[in-house]
Amino acid sequence: MRQYSNAIYWLENLLFFWGGLTLILIFGGDSLQVPAWVQVLGRLHPVILHFPLVILLMAVGVFWVGEKSWKDQGRKLLLLGANLAGVTVVAGLILATEDYEGDSLNWHKWLGIISLFISIGIYFSSKKSSKALKFSTSALALVLVLTGHFGANLTHGEDFLFEPLLAKETKTVNLQEAEVFAHLVQPILETKCVACHKEGKIKGELRLDQISGIQKGGKSGPFVVAGDPSASLFFQRIHLPLEDEEHMPPKNKAQLTDEEMEILEQWVAQGATFDQKVSDLPSDTPLFQLASNRFSAESSYDFASASADKVEKLNNFFRKVKPIYPGSPALEVAYFGSSAFDPNSLNDLKSVKDQIVKVNLNRMPLKGVNLDVLSGLPHLEELQLNFSEVSSNQLKTLEGNPSLRRLAISGNSLGPEIIPILESFPNLTHLYFWQSTLSDEEKKKLTSLLSGVEIDFGFDASEVVYQLNPPKIEYKQLMFENATEVSIKHPISTVQIRYTLDETEPDSLNSPLYSGPFPIDKTSTIRTKAFAAEWISSAEDKVVLFKKGNSPKSWNLLTLPNPKYKANGAPTLFDGIKGKANHTSGEWLGYSEQAMELEIFLEEGQSPKNLKIGLLLHEGAYIFPPEKAEYWIGNGNGWKKLDSDPPMISEKIQEARFDLLSQNLPQEDFDRIKIKLSPIQRLPAWHPGAGAKGWVFVDEIYLY
Amino acid sequence: MEKEILEQGLNHNRRKFLSRLSLGIGSVALGSLMIPDLFSGKSASEEAIMQALPHFAPKAKRIIYLFQNGAPSQLETFDYKPLLTKNFGQELPESIRMGQRLTGMTAGQSSFPLVGSYFEFNQYGQSRAWISSLFPHLSSVVDDLCIVKSMHTEAINHDPALTFFQTGAQVGNRPSMGSWLSYGLGSENENLPAFCVLLSRGKGNGQGVYSKLWSNGFLDARHQGVQFSNSEDPVLYLSDPDGMTRDQRRKMLDHIAAMNDLNYREFNDPQITTKVQQYEMAFRMQTAVPEITDVSKEPDSIVKLYGPECLVPGTYAANCLLARKLSENGVRFVQLYHQGWDAHDNLPNQMIGQAKDVDQASAALITDLKQRGLLDETLVIWGGEFGRTNYCQGKIAPANYGRDHHPRAFSIFMAGGGVKSGIVYGETDDFGYNITENPVHVHDFQATVLHLMGIDHEKLIYKHLGRRYRLTDVHGHVVKDLIA
Repeated sequence: MRQYSNAIYWLENLLFFWGGLTLILIFGGDSLQVPAWVQVLGRLHPVILHFPLVILLMAVGVFWVGEKSWKDQGRKLLLLGANLAGVTVVAGLILATEDYEGDSLNWHKWLGIISLFISIGIYFSSKKSSKALKFSTSALALVLVLTGHFGANLTHGEDFLFEPLLAKETKTVNLQEAEVFAHLVQPILETKCVACHKEGKIKGELRLDQISGIQKGGKSGPFVVAGDPSASLFFQRIHLPLEDEEHMPPKNKAQLTDEEMEILEQWVAQGATFDQKVSDLPSDTPLFQLASNRFSAESSYDFASASADKVEKLNNFFRKVKPIYPGSPALEVAYFGSSAFDPNSLNDLKSVKDQIVKVNLNRMPLKGVNLDVLSGLPHLEELQLNFSEVSSNQLKTLEGNPSLRRLAISGNSLGPEIIPILESFPNLTHLYFWQSTLSDEEKKKLTSLLSGVEIDFGFDASEVVYQLNPPKIEYKQLMFENATEVSIKHPISTVQIRYTLDETEPDSLNSPLYSGPFPIDKTSTIRTKAFAAEWISSAEDKVVLFKKGNSPKSWNLLTLPNPKYKANGAPTLFDGIKGKANHTSGEWLGYSEQAMELEIFLEEGQSPKNLKIGLLLHEGAYIFPPEKAEYWIGNGNGWKKLDSDPPMISEKIQEARFDLLSQNLPQEDFDRIKIKLSPIQRLPAWHPGAGAKGWVFVDEIYLY
Repeated sequence: MEKEILEQGLNHNRRKFLSRLSLGIGSVALGSLMIPDLFSGKSASEEAIMQALPHFAPKAKRIIYLFQNGAPSQLETFDYKPLLTKNFGQELPESIRMGQRLTGMTAGQSSFPLVGSYFEFNQYGQSRAWISSLFPHLSSVVDDLCIVKSMHTEAINHDPALTFFQTGAQVGNRPSMGSWLSYGLGSENENLPAFCVLLSRGKGNGQGVYSKLWSNGFLDARHQGVQFSNSEDPVLYLSDPDGMTRDQRRKMLDHIAAMNDLNYREFNDPQITTKVQQYEMAFRMQTAVPEITDVSKEPDSIVKLYGPECLVPGTYAANCLLARKLSENGVRFVQLYHQGWDAHDNLPNQMIGQAKDVDQASAALITDLKQRGLLDETLVIWGGEFGRTNYCQGKIAPANYGRDHHPRAFSIFMAGGGVKSGIVYGETDDFGYNITENPVHVHDFQATVLHLMGIDHEKLIYKHLGRRYRLTDVHGHVVKDLIA
């Protein structure tokens, strides 16, 4: 108990010590020489200050509860708190001799001193009336809170407390409007530097919250040297290693990003100006590049958003109305589905006319539709009217539109009457005008009239001459009984299709013109080509259609096919089944090592006039026409060799396809025929397998 | 007495309980104010992220991805390496290969002779980009292209590499890029699927494509790619059967919807409503699709622009034309695959055919979008799943050689949609084997593509089997240098 009172005695005495020291520091502070260890004490101020603040406020609370037995405890708390307030004030006054100044500091300093003296005063007079006590403690609480607030402003920045409540006017800036200093450099300084280099807390005597401070520099030298980053102090400091004491921002503070460092450096290199616009920089300078990364080229909008309900109401399956990106007040409108287009629905757009910046009416049937609603959109920047059959007359309503930047009117066959309308848009930057009916002269004129506008006249087909793709022959059966029907198709409906049945190459003058499906009643080779003005004639399509022949009495295959490709042996050649265009289908006899030799014995009285051999050709698979095709006729008393056409020759690699060897038979008396087909011995030089042996593939032999 | 005490105690407790409860309710109310989805059972952040899509102003609204399936050789297209021609037949130095794994197709080769491009290269446009003589049409639009020569991937065989490019993982079952975009951004035009797939095949050595490449994975089934058929009737089963009128179809759908609604009221299964919506979309597609696939309204010059093949259904040119038409009608993602680039042998010959298939139509697509003012909002991507080796596979001759798979460096290009135009990004060494400058990993590419669409690739997520999935998994950096 005694010891306890002793403590109170000492604490009461200490109060006078703190009061006195405070007065000395107030009056003599200017000439104070602060030794290093005292400076450390001063810097303890931000740590200690929380104790008196809390304990004094607790004391006030205890007094207010008003119960008598508590009052004594309240006095003890007050005593402790007042002592701690003394330490804090003294430390604060020492700290204030460092780089602090300004209104916040003055308020904080004097309010802090006042709270010390009020708490001392209350302690020694707290035996007085409870009314006076209530008043004085209230005053103390108020002063304490204000002191704390101004102190927080010093460390965290002005308006730290209420910042979340203050309406943020963050107008987004676009590339056109952005200024180098105001929008690129200053935000970096504000977020990374100004907390310590500003009014009230001028570390290193450097102020970065005003242009004059930036120009003046700090204690150690000039902040920036225009045009010379490496001579600028900031540049040296930010590039020091993180551990270095001089490194800025200090180790435990948010650091500059590489991009931010680059921006600062380039800004200084460009002359450290304060009023330059980004758009005035040449576009190949690093600073412009950096800026274009930061600011969208898109415009920012200062009009208010339309209500979400209103926008939602405009949406249906055939029309989308939505912000150009989340949070943007600007709306874009797109119509889909030309068959569902209702011209009156354009009028619905009036409800959000102030917000619409883009309208897409591509492919909507706008012929004769009143487009006045478009001219009533004050912020319309982009209008897409491709292939909408819109006329110059309809577009007159937009004449002189000041907001229009991009206009797409491709595919509308608009003529020179549109030129004055296009000329009337003062801010047009892009014009898409493919498929106009303008002459070259008129295009030139338009280009010179709209000098700042990027005009795309699109693809000009008039000077381009390509080869047509080949027509396609269509038929029901490759091998037919009596007759079959053939049709020829081409994807471009306007081409001329010509064809031949006599194995000659089709030409654009003499060959029959295809007009519709035609019948074929004998084994025929159909060759066809397509022709059109302004096009090179197509490659040909060729098909051989086979009429079933007569079967002989019997046959004798003298040489066996390669075991891999033997099909069903010799009967395969007379089974009336056309093989598929694939030599592994099991319907083909394949010969490579030796020639195919076959004897055919005819029925009595069967005197065929023509013999045809069905071949498969596929150079990529080494399958060629036979090098030599020889034919004999006989009647049991030896063979007579027939004259035949020169052999068929392949000249390049083509897809697998069918072909025919044809041999006319003389009007003589014979009852048997012999055939010898010799595979090519050495593939030609153009072939990847040049020099190797080729193959012959046969699937059917026809007698007519 | 005891009872009274007990009741007294209980009363007291009840009062205390209630008074404390009021405070408790207050705290819960406050909590729910601060965490809006506290009681909705959803993770607040995930919902908020999805609601804020796109995350920022998009540069591109739609994508047309011209996938060159089978991996076209970078050395015969965009990556000009005269050294390989000069050192024809010489061994690939080990200092360049650095022990890299090879496929089973060439790992057993006793030598790795270098082979240069059979095709000449020239510089084109203001960008002076090198392009081989295989691509005369693409050379003419070079100033619209953003060529990336420094792509690299992790897989060395077609299927995993293709799956990796499309879904961000080498194994299947993840959603495809188009599905992610459909999930994130939805369809612009609700009468068409957001994600359409078109297939074509060249004459070169082909590799298969499988429907897993346009799978919705764990996402809702409506995000699956819709494969268009190669026939005159691109969407199968869309026409009404003979004898059924549109009115009858409408009535049938109404009745089915009513029955489904009964079911939904009983079970509350969201799949039921999805199904009804799909039926309705199919009904609208019945008019929307014929409008798009009808080429009769296209001007004559379109045929010259894309080449006459564009009127033959199922060709690459026809698919490019269809892709343009789908895209301008608001389809978010059109995925083309052109097969036949896997030239292990006979490469020059195969590439001539493949290039003939794709060169004109690819360039035409870019020109066509441009002349309609749509290129700025449509991202066109052209490229394969990896590159090809600088050494020869199999027999070697200047005009006849083959190349194996090479994942370490290959070229793709992009155009429009907010990428820089007329630039060549990245560089490879003189052997065309390793990247020396600005490598772009497949995940970086995916992150960049999502970025162009206004999506932060780290925020487009879907929670499945207890973890959050992304297209870029846990990787990927946006390549800012590619963005205009």
